[in-house]
Amino acid sequence: MSGPESGTTGGDWGEGRDRRGRGGSGGAASDDAVIGPGYYGIPAIHKPHWKWLIIFYFYFGGIAGAAYAVATIADAVGASEDRRIGRIGRYLSFAALLPSPILLVLDLGRPERFFLMFRVLKLRSPMSLGTWGLTAFGGFSALSVAAQAAVDGRLGDGFVGRRAQQLPIQALGVAGTPLALFVAGYTGVLLAATAVPLWTKRALLLGPLFLASAFSSAVSAIELIVALMPSTPAATRHRLTRLGVSTLFAEAAIFIAWRNGLGPTGRPLGEGATGRVVRLGVVGGGIALPLVLQAVASVTTGGFARILSVVSSVSVLAGGLALRYVVVVAGNTSADDPRATLGMTAADGAPERLSTH
Amino acid sequence: MTLSTSDRSPLTGTTGARAGALGFLTDVSLCIGCKACEVACKQWNQLPADSGTGITGLTGFSYDNTVDLGATTWRHVAFVEQAATTVDRTWEAPGAPGSPTAWLMLSDVCKHCVHAGCLEACPTGAIVRTEFDTVVIQQDVCNGCGYCVPACPFGVPQLGDTDRKAHKCTLCYDRLVDGLEPACAKACPTESIRFGPIAELLPRALDRVEQLQERGVAGAHLYGDRAIGGTGGMEGLNALFVLTAPPEVFNLPAAPELPQRKVLPALVSTAIAAVAFILGSGAALRGRR
Ligand code: SF4
Ligand code: SF4
Repeated sequence: MSGPESGTTGGDWGEGRDRRGRGGSGGAASDDAVIGPGYYGIPAIHKPHWKWLIIFYFYFGGIAGAAYAVATIADAVGASEDRRIGRIGRYLSFAALLPSPILLVLDLGRPERFFLMFRVLKLRSPMSLGTWGLTAFGGFSALSVAAQAAVDGRLGDGFVGRRAQQLPIQALGVAGTPLALFVAGYTGVLLAATAVPLWTKRALLLGPLFLASAFSSAVSAIELIVALMPSTPAATRHRLTRLGVSTLFAEAAIFIAWRNGLGPTGRPLGEGATGRVVRLGVVGGGIALPLVLQAVASVTTGGFARILSVVSSVSVLAGGLALRYVVVVAGNTSADDPRATLGMTAADGAPERLSTH
Repeated sequence: MTLSTSDRSPLTGTTGARAGALGFLTDVSLCIGCKACEVACKQWNQLPADSGTGITGLTGFSYDNTVDLGATTWRHVAFVEQAATTVDRTWEAPGAPGSPTAWLMLSDVCKHCVHAGCLEACPTGAIVRTEFDTVVIQQDVCNGCGYCVPACPFGVPQLGDTDRKAHKCTLCYDRLVDGLEPACAKACPTESIRFGPIAELLPRALDRVEQLQERGVAGAHLYGDRAIGGTGGMEGLNALFVLTAPPEVFNLPAAPELPQRKVLPALVSTAIAAVAFILGSGAALRGRR
């Protein structure tokens, strides 16, 4: 848009005002904001109300999906002494899935109306897809964990126990894994399909990023449980570590591609408290520290190696939660920044007028 | 004076509005900032007053004490001050006290997008398209999930503080079914807000833009066609605007996108990543059986 010439602002309150116009919230110098896009620095879009309930749902749902997939894969290709990976994966998946619907319902403005989600299936609404996907996956996860519990003799010899023993554990796993992967990754798509600059700018990478983080968290949780169990064969632990380290590398690669691709839109990820959580939690605790610990553990033996591995797993698990936290929080910050919104939606030919810096 | 790109675009003056679509045309050059539309909207729709900010309820930075659209504010009059700098009517931010100042007033509203982000996002089907091609939230269906809120590229819907359901302009659906025009358009004393079929409003808007440009308002342009405002898969807006400054001056995005355009590509990229993770995990976990 080269024509409507007058690049002006509604005033010289370039930034730092919330949508009700209440005072500045800090923010960068406003010299360059005197002539800049926007209207008194008031947000150009509305951010969602999502906070901790949703952050924890993203985290637990991811672990539930990825743990289920890992269990299925371990059953399919793992060595016979690795059976416990599948077993732990199924229990873990179900345990992580249990809080998910509760978190989702509690987050609704009107929790008592949650069932209205099941009126429709809308293929272009990730939240609608997710509702149905999570429900269907819940069925698979419950059946799989019942079958596992029956095999483990936990359901007794009664009617239920005998029925559950007949469940085809492997076939269930194969059929449920696509849904499990969907549950682990669709949350990134859900955020990407909004007007929030930080979520939608690199829309193609947010789903893969959440998926990668789900895998690294789930593998670490399994590693942690395995490390705490006596008598796990060293070979099993070794293969799990191999998987954990390679997922961390994949997660790091996707994170770097996403972060760099955001350009100035990604600024909230580098600033203030959120920036510290990104550096110390997501990158430091979630990726770098575990890789270093695993490297050291690989050249040590015995109890010390096991301690390193436990610390590494806990660190990855914390990093996974930190990732969901910063994506949600930094997204909300970017939604409140009219320069980010209006800069991203500028018409051709106007980038200098609307540069986000 | 140059015409805007939008005026040269083949998409200018086109929208995907369905036959018989009704909507608004809001003209910034006619608005006197009286806020009659805000008041009429609140009265007809029984919306509570905004508490404003501070003890006074005044923002203290402009005559705009409404600030934004929200759950209980479905019309919002923006007040923009500009200082004259040159004779060719290029305006910028307010100059020194006493220098000539121009006022821009614009009554913002839900755009009733031809393809609406809020509607497509809504997982309960609470948001529907009416027989008038407008977009309405059914209050007996909404469960307050809040997904429509960030899915609107214009920052329109919001959850109510008290009932925790999403609210926005209904284009006075309850008046339309009785053959009445929306309360805001009825109340507007200058016809800055016009209501009618898009098929009539669109040519009227283009005529008005031409007229303004002939009078020397170089920046006059239409907002809400496929070229500006109704871009990125939205195929136009059923609330059109005649603006005399870039849309960003009023906090309106120049080239927004329908968020749901990202859904299929993002699902595909996530599926590809999922296959990669399956293969990678298989390779890492492989062992002698
Ligand atoms: S402007 Fe926003 S709330 Fe209104 S129809 Fe378009 S997407 Fe929905
Ligand atoms: S808050 Fe209500 S109207 Fe908005 S998307 Fe959710 S159910 Fe639909």
